[in-house]
Amino acid sequence: MIEIIIDGKKIEVAEGTTILDAARKNGIPIPTLCHRSTVEPYGACRLCIVDIREGNRTRLVTSCNYPVRKPVEVNTQSEKVRKTRKTLLEMMLSRWPNVNLIKQLAREYGVTSASYTHPLVDYSSNACILCGLCVNACSEIMWEDIIGFAGRGENRRVVMPFEKHYDACVGCSTCANICPTGAIQMTDDPNHPADDKRISRYGARVTDEVALYDIEQCRMREVGTAHLTEIMNDYDLLPTCNYKFGSHDEAGKLHSDVFKNKYLTQGVPDGCWLGCTMACAKVAEHFELKTGPYRGEKVLVDGPEYETVAGCGANMGIFDPEFVLETNFYCDTYGIDTISFGTTMAFVMECYEKGILNKERTGGLELRFGSAEAALEILHQMGTGQGFGVIVGQGIRRLKKIFAEKYNLSQQDIDFMQDIGMEAKGLEYSEYVTKESLAMQGGYGLALKGAQHDEAWLIFMDMVNNQIPTFQDKAEALHYFPMFRTWFGLVGLCKLPWNDVEPVDNAETDEPAKVPKHVEGYVNYFSGMTGREIDKKELILMSERVYNFQRVFNFRLGFGTREHDRIPYRSAGPVTDEEYESRAERYDKQLMEKWNYDITGKSTTEKREYLRKSREQDYQSLCDAVYRRRGWDENGVPTIEKMKQLKMDFPEVIAVLEKYYSSYTARSS
Amino acid sequence: MKTTVIVNGNKLEWFAGMTIGDVLEKMNYTFRMLVIRVNGELVRKQNYATHEVPSGADIKVIHLISGG
Amino acid sequence: MTRISLEDLQKIRERKEQEDKSYKAVLLVCSGTSCSTSGSGNLLTVLRKEISHRKLSQDYRVEPSACIGYCSRGPVMIVQPEGILYEKVKSADIPEIIDCLIAGIPLERLCHKDTTTDNRVPLLKDISFFNRQQFIVMHNKGSAVPAGIEDAIAGGAYQGLAKALMMDKNAVITEIIKSGLRGRGGGGFPTGLKWQSAARSAEEKKEPPYVICNASIIEAEPHLVIEGMAIGAYALGASEGIIYLRREAPQVSARYNKAIQQARESGLLGSNILNTSFSFDIHIRSSAGAFVSGESSALIASLSGLAGEPTAKYIHNSEAGYKGKPTVINNLETWANIPAILERGADWYSSTGKSRKSSPGTKVLTMTGDIVNPGIIEVPLGTTLREIIYDIGEGLADQGQLKAVQTGGPSGGFLPVELLDLPLDYESLSEAGSMIGSGNISVISHKTCIVDTVRYSVSYLKDESCGKCTPCREGLIALSGILNRITSGQGKEGDIELMARIAESMQLASLCALGQTAANPVLSTIRYFRSEYEQHIRDGKCSAGVCKALLYYLINDNCTGCTACARNCPVQAIAGEVKKKHVIDQDKCIKCGVCYEVCKLNAVTVQ
Repeated sequence: MIEIIIDGKKIEVAEGTTILDAARKNGIPIPTLCHRSTVEPYGACRLCIVDIREGNRTRLVTSCNYPVRKPVEVNTQSEKVRKTRKTLLEMMLSRWPNVNLIKQLAREYGVTSASYTHPLVDYSSNACILCGLCVNACSEIMWEDIIGFAGRGENRRVVMPFEKHYDACVGCSTCANICPTGAIQMTDDPNHPADDKRISRYGARVTDEVALYDIEQCRMREVGTAHLTEIMNDYDLLPTCNYKFGSHDEAGKLHSDVFKNKYLTQGVPDGCWLGCTMACAKVAEHFELKTGPYRGEKVLVDGPEYETVAGCGANMGIFDPEFVLETNFYCDTYGIDTISFGTTMAFVMECYEKGILNKERTGGLELRFGSAEAALEILHQMGTGQGFGVIVGQGIRRLKKIFAEKYNLSQQDIDFMQDIGMEAKGLEYSEYVTKESLAMQGGYGLALKGAQHDEAWLIFMDMVNNQIPTFQDKAEALHYFPMFRTWFGLVGLCKLPWNDVEPVDNAETDEPAKVPKHVEGYVNYFSGMTGREIDKKELILMSERVYNFQRVFNFRLGFGTREHDRIPYRSAGPVTDEEYESRAERYDKQLMEKWNYDITGKSTTEKREYLRKSREQDYQSLCDAVYRRRGWDENGVPTIEKMKQLKMDFPEVIAVLEKYYSSYTARSS
Repeated sequence: MKTTVIVNGNKLEWFAGMTIGDVLEKMNYTFRMLVIRVNGELVRKQNYATHEVPSGADIKVIHLISGG
Repeated sequence: MTRISLEDLQKIRERKEQEDKSYKAVLLVCSGTSCSTSGSGNLLTVLRKEISHRKLSQDYRVEPSACIGYCSRGPVMIVQPEGILYEKVKSADIPEIIDCLIAGIPLERLCHKDTTTDNRVPLLKDISFFNRQQFIVMHNKGSAVPAGIEDAIAGGAYQGLAKALMMDKNAVITEIIKSGLRGRGGGGFPTGLKWQSAARSAEEKKEPPYVICNASIIEAEPHLVIEGMAIGAYALGASEGIIYLRREAPQVSARYNKAIQQARESGLLGSNILNTSFSFDIHIRSSAGAFVSGESSALIASLSGLAGEPTAKYIHNSEAGYKGKPTVINNLETWANIPAILERGADWYSSTGKSRKSSPGTKVLTMTGDIVNPGIIEVPLGTTLREIIYDIGEGLADQGQLKAVQTGGPSGGFLPVELLDLPLDYESLSEAGSMIGSGNISVISHKTCIVDTVRYSVSYLKDESCGKCTPCREGLIALSGILNRITSGQGKEGDIELMARIAESMQLASLCALGQTAANPVLSTIRYFRSEYEQHIRDGKCSAGVCKALLYYLINDNCTGCTACARNCPVQAIAGEVKKKHVIDQDKCIKCGVCYEVCKLNAVTVQ
């Protein structure tokens, strides 16, 4: 910390802080025109000049970009400063006499009219004052350079290249929003919003948040979702070796910094959503492939997302970033989902380790955890329809059946596969260890599509924050969040800006997990777009209708009831003694404190089996609570009352559901 | 006699002069977006290293994270 | 060309000396910019042809020479070893020149004529223009150095580098500090301290620094600059250098490219220079053609592929410059001084310069304007303006009276006659409201209107302003407008105060030195020549008779009514009956001066 003096006031600042920031933080006003906190200081308008003393001499410097590196004495209102600012404002007023911002500032310095006739005088109140904010915003925030300065001196102006309209502009309105005079207008929006300025107002807030805070929050702009790998590993939630464990000594090799420093191109606009400020879709360019039909070629890899790093990496026991990239590329090329591939391979590898599979059965491939080459071979087989890969490509649900039939397995092995095969409703689990979070088990198990976390992501809320301790709390969360998150699908919005960036004061709100300021934003986007006024409750109601309707579709396909909401035991607790022992302290404690189970003299197997019974019971109790909260009956079927409440009680809908009301038999305790 | 603090419902051994920074270290809470309240009072990020927690304090370290 | 070792340098020098001795004479034609534009290139060709034709190639060597600086007398030719100088040589003179050569006598009519004695002065060393100068940067003037690297080595090139490579890097930096050399680009910052700062940053950050030459257009021999940069690179631990040339001077670029190529082939650039472990190479990069790109942060922007616009310089280039690495940017003239310091020692260098108070060393100046000897000169710092103008320049041309001297270039201040005894040094000129700047000395006679000259300087600077910051862009637009009004007779009370206020804000608040120094012409002339402004504004008069709008054409009593003027007036502004005195309508008159030309009776006068 360095001590500086501003206008006689002693202030301590961190090295590198600008004088302007230091002054404003301490309530000392300094006028600015071309400065905004969301872009780098430009130092063009010169209004922020202050007088600094260095030894014997004083000189004027721009406070916006003067970094404090040693003690300095600053005067923000010396005569020299005021006189110079006044002259600058005189000159600006001569050129732009009707721009309110300038008139206001000029008045504060006693200037009310032009001192001379300016040859380029612009009488518009929306005149461009050459502050450069639009240019800098497009460049620094959007990573585009669609507008820029052309011409020198008196010919300086802001234009698109060659003064023609540039197609690359998608109308993100970042430049219009940051312009202090309204010199930039948005026109011809083909979406015909009811109130585009309303949308802009709330959207610009998020743009600013991302520009200012992403770097100290999730670093989406740098590494995208891959920032989660190290966090999951730290909190013992990174699926390792088919979800057996939650962390690994070698996980550092997959740290997001490894991808950032060596592979990911920085500072290019988003590949998935042009005009998005969060721009989290990252790419690795000029990556040389080692296997497959494009071996030896340098390609662009679109990714990796966290799921790919964890699934096509840690979950297979492989900690090689280049394996992740190669797998990412070929999955994309073959049209294979990386999560399904990763989780399925993890299952296959554990089956191999258990002896259910062997070289004969796999066509010669040794598919142990960590066998990168063999895994890629399977991927190529899968993509080209050959060998054992064709079988693996059918997914865990079918594999369990195929292995049982084909290899004449014992019941023990069959049960084992059921426990470790991480799929629900036929969809492979995405890459989070839910073992210790009952709420998240529900999040996956109760999700309509199958085991994916798009509906609810509650691990931290539940396990780490301990914010939803009771069944009722969990059920409430498993109502609100799936309903809220479904809404994004309804309106075609990406959900990441909702909570992968936060306003600075989010911590002080009542329910920071919901990010209330952003919810307000979404309500306003909807109203601004459609012209229909809604509130946040109505937003949830919209989703609830669709959510329940989706449930009805599941029923129509025969997948709706409680039995289909079941989960493999690996997702709820330790299947093997090895797993139990890896978290023995935690499990022993839970058995004692929660279940009053006396562990003295008990073997690992005994403890494990008792824990299993308790957890399986817990899951069923969770289902009870969730169904109740959602207005479904004990078999998970939406009741007629609920459908009436949602105004979804169409005859076709009721016809589907009725079959299930009658087929339910009470569950025995 | 050992004294403790409660962190998200878990007991953690306390020592004199223990700061939020110490709590985070002991709990291995490495995540960046945290909301920390000590006995209901919000503690700001810039003060984590210096804010001392009293023995027996009820500390909530809310991680604001929602997956990718 | 083969790689050269340290011992080879001396051998080459001796060999070239012997070779030159084997000739009866070496004929050198100045290849400086001014002489080139006067046709010295053609002269060289004709000379070579004639020598060859007369089968005298074994006896006489013909080469282009490094700039001599005697621009008003070009094309210039020199005959070595005698040191005879011929002025204003034409192709037609060649046969006679050769005849005299063979006869062993100078061709008098082409020799310099002393302005005071009227005697012919055949030898360069006796010509007064030269013997007040001191040649460090231009020490190879009039020599065959441009012919190739071996001639450069014969002229002493790379001796300094050879010495430096035997020293510890830090010792080289210390030597530069001791020498007292200050940046010749205009800033005057102590060069050694700049290097020291960069060397420290490079060490701390563990990043190799860059050395960059900001090549303003001056006539320094490329090898001198290459050598200087190599010495600097060695001292700083740099392996890459850039020479940033102005796009406006393509012939300079050709010369530098040739020199770099030859240096590389001789192992004086590239890996293992002079067979030591020091490796360094130079690349030439070109500006897009703008005055402002000579400003160091704009230069870096330009090198980085951006528009040449300056940025904040609160973090110095020596800490983070090109590509964010520690960078030393020195002016070309600064680099050109480095070899001499190494070769002859810091003690010697620090003792050059006129007095203890001024900085050591010399400054290359371009003297222009109403002077007898416009040209390129090199004088010790501390030399007074009076000595420069009257001793070297030999005073005002065409019976002019000295009115003012603008020093430093278009953004230099105008100094009055009273300040002629000011020494040429950084502080003195700066305190007086001007600067050394680019080393331009513009001599202004009474026939020049100060206000008009300032108007011109300001208009030039307005066009060169990048336009990023308010004070420079708006200030120059405003000043230009006001000066245009004043010189067209529409000056108002309050204009001088307004200009002073605007210029002061430019000086204090501009982002870079272009805007800051652009205030100099205005502020210095308000300080020293205020009466001339007042005359224009209050009296509507231009005493130098330059500002056309302030001229009045009047018909006096000599008029006989011959109607010649009225008939020739393009705007029919003259009325009058035949044989009666005519009258000029001032409102219609466009001041073209035709009436003045056609009147044979001196009846039209200009006021």
